[in-house]
Amino acid sequence: MAELDPLIHAPARLQVLTTLSAVSEAEFATLRNALEVSDSVLSKHISALADAGYVQTRKGVQAGRRTTWIGLTGSGRKALRDHVAALRRMIDLVVD
Amino acid sequence: MLAAADQTRQRLATSLRLPSGLRPALAVAAAVQVSTAAYGIASQTAAGLAVALVGVAVFLGVAALTLSQFRRINGVRVDGLASQIVLGTGAMSTMFYVGAFAAATWAAFDSLWWLVVAAAIAGGAGYAFGVVRWWQAYRHDPAVNAGGASPRVLAALALIACLGLVALLMAG
Repeated sequence: MAELDPLIHAPARLQVLTTLSAVSEAEFATLRNALEVSDSVLSKHISALADAGYVQTRKGVQAGRRTTWIGLTGSGRKALRDHVAALRRMIDLVVD
Repeated sequence: MLAAADQTRQRLATSLRLPSGLRPALAVAAAVQVSTAAYGIASQTAAGLAVALVGVAVFLGVAALTLSQFRRINGVRVDGLASQIVLGTGAMSTMFYVGAFAAATWAAFDSLWWLVVAAAIAGGAGYAFGVVRWWQAYRHDPAVNAGGASPRVLAALALIACLGLVALLMAG
């Protein structure tokens, strides 16, 4: 049975993974604007998630400027699915 | 917490925009591809092969340009959209494309060129409509519809399609 994942239990990290599940890759600025956080905050979360293998990053060019593209990995997708399932189970227990 | 994450995802999905002129450009590109392929298959000549390959090149060029514009204006890549545009993986796009291709090829063998053009236009319009329908489904449920073939897989499939077309025409 899937359990809560402490790495993505923080709301901001859960938001990062959930938002990335809507796309194949997102440019850093696009993700930052969607999450309404600062560059440094997003950088820290992305680094932690990349170290865990939940997201992958690559350098690219967007509108003529260098930028970073971020995408969910297979293990990141599975971690998100398992974590959300565990959360929903907990909510069901409380409601019941 | 879950609701906030869902809202952020939905906000991103609803903020995405298709490039202006996508529907007519895609409709014309698909119509050109269908009509040139029908002509090439029916003519069974080197010139016909060249025309068919030009049609494929036009379609792939428009698809690549459209996807590049989408990525530039939105700052995201959605492989599901690429699969819809390049491969026509949606049921409606597939149905219109296959129907138009079959009708156009049959008409080309009988030299009914007005019917080739009519079938290609109908197929192109249906193909583009299928992509727009998929887009609406994506915006409603982005997580379910975001996935698709990666750019590398699409490039490999496009190459295979071109080689298959050449083989088909050479065999004839």
